[in-house]
Amino acid sequence: MIQFWEEHKKKIIGVIAIAIVAVALFAGGKNLNASALESVLGFVVTPFQDLTTGIENWVDSTAASAKDKTALTEENAQLKADLAKLQDENKRLEQYAKENAALSSLLKISQKYPEYKSTGTKIIAKNPGVWYNTFTINKGTDDTVSANMILIAPGGVVGKILESGKTYSKAQSILDSRSAVPAMSVRTGDLGVVKGDYTLMNDGLCKMEYIDGEAQIAVGDEIVTSQLSDVYPAGLSIGKVTKIETDTNGLTKYAIIEPFVDLKHLDTLLVIDKNTLEEAP
Amino acid sequence: MRIIITIAMVLINFILQTTLLQHLAIQSIFPNTALIIVVSYALLRGSKEGCIVGAFTGLLFDVFFGTAMGYYTLLYFALSYFTGKSQKNFYRENYLLPILFCALAAGIFEFFQFLTELVLRKDGNILFFVIKIFLPTIVYTAVVTVPIYRILFGLNEWLELKEKYKYRLF
Repeated sequence: MIQFWEEHKKKIIGVIAIAIVAVALFAGGKNLNASALESVLGFVVTPFQDLTTGIENWVDSTAASAKDKTALTEENAQLKADLAKLQDENKRLEQYAKENAALSSLLKISQKYPEYKSTGTKIIAKNPGVWYNTFTINKGTDDTVSANMILIAPGGVVGKILESGKTYSKAQSILDSRSAVPAMSVRTGDLGVVKGDYTLMNDGLCKMEYIDGEAQIAVGDEIVTSQLSDVYPAGLSIGKVTKIETDTNGLTKYAIIEPFVDLKHLDTLLVIDKNTLEEAP
Repeated sequence: MRIIITIAMVLINFILQTTLLQHLAIQSIFPNTALIIVVSYALLRGSKEGCIVGAFTGLLFDVFFGTAMGYYTLLYFALSYFTGKSQKNFYRENYLLPILFCALAAGIFEFFQFLTELVLRKDGNILFFVIKIFLPTIVYTAVVTVPIYRILFGLNEWLELKEKYKYRLF
């Protein structure tokens, strides 16, 4: 055995290297659900990741609760006040909704606010390193989560699912340099593509590229997903413009986008399935 | 015995690295402990076993965080192979060489990722890379290598002793 290895060492290593490259080339760039091998590894590893993150959260919360009880009572009072205010507002808005429905039916406009079927999920592991921003969540095909579904958090888009195993899924945030989201500015309707960039990733920012050179986009504009994507549904908010620069070619502009969601400190997310559009009542 | 302990070690490191250890990051830089383990293992046990551990570690990263199968596998595989080649030429008790090798491997690892970004997505900001990623990673890796290498070295000694008894080598 050892002798065989010594004799054919170079050949064996060469063959393995070529095999890996071939697999990479054939499997590259496909958004498929996990293969058997991946599922097995996921089945072994994800429960422990879940556990470790759980323990971490528990320690965090216990430490916090012991530390600032007074702050919590204050916060509670504040929240109660806020709640009362919001309830009041909600009642008012409900009336608006009713009025809106009545008026729309008068005008025969079928107005649809997109409301998708959603599943709550948690992040259980993150990609180490500074280059990419992918993470693992604790829902998989068992919970009808599958590839190319969208992840959102209160405020806006977080990313999409790359691959789903039985009990876990691999997701990519919009800060990842491999991610690209067709987007537009709400105010002016200028189109562009929101891309991640590793130089901005660690500040939690991303970049909107390919904006027309004469576009009227300005700092503070809200950016939402455009209808040009077949993965992201239109109209989900992404973030706001913090800076606009002209590209070196002078023909296009790019904007630095600050996402509404704090993508550096995410915990709980929603997975939405864009194929199950539920009409708003 | 060795196989079980090695697999457990790689898996435990993977679980910790993707969850708890991220809180120890300074400016979102934390050394790649998986790489340190792979390189140390290759230095302690030679290129053959190093390659296997490297490929397995890379496979884990590919499965959970890669978009294309094989990128990390190849990278870890190659790094462990080349470090394993130099195993016969140094004293294991000496800490300087593992530190040097781990720092170098981490540097090469980051550089390859930079190269991939540059070639595939033309996102090449060499100044940002060197100052914000390359140098901090090398320094931080060199520091973290010491405890990890110590643990691996102790584990290896213990296992080798057990193996000697088992095969009646003395």
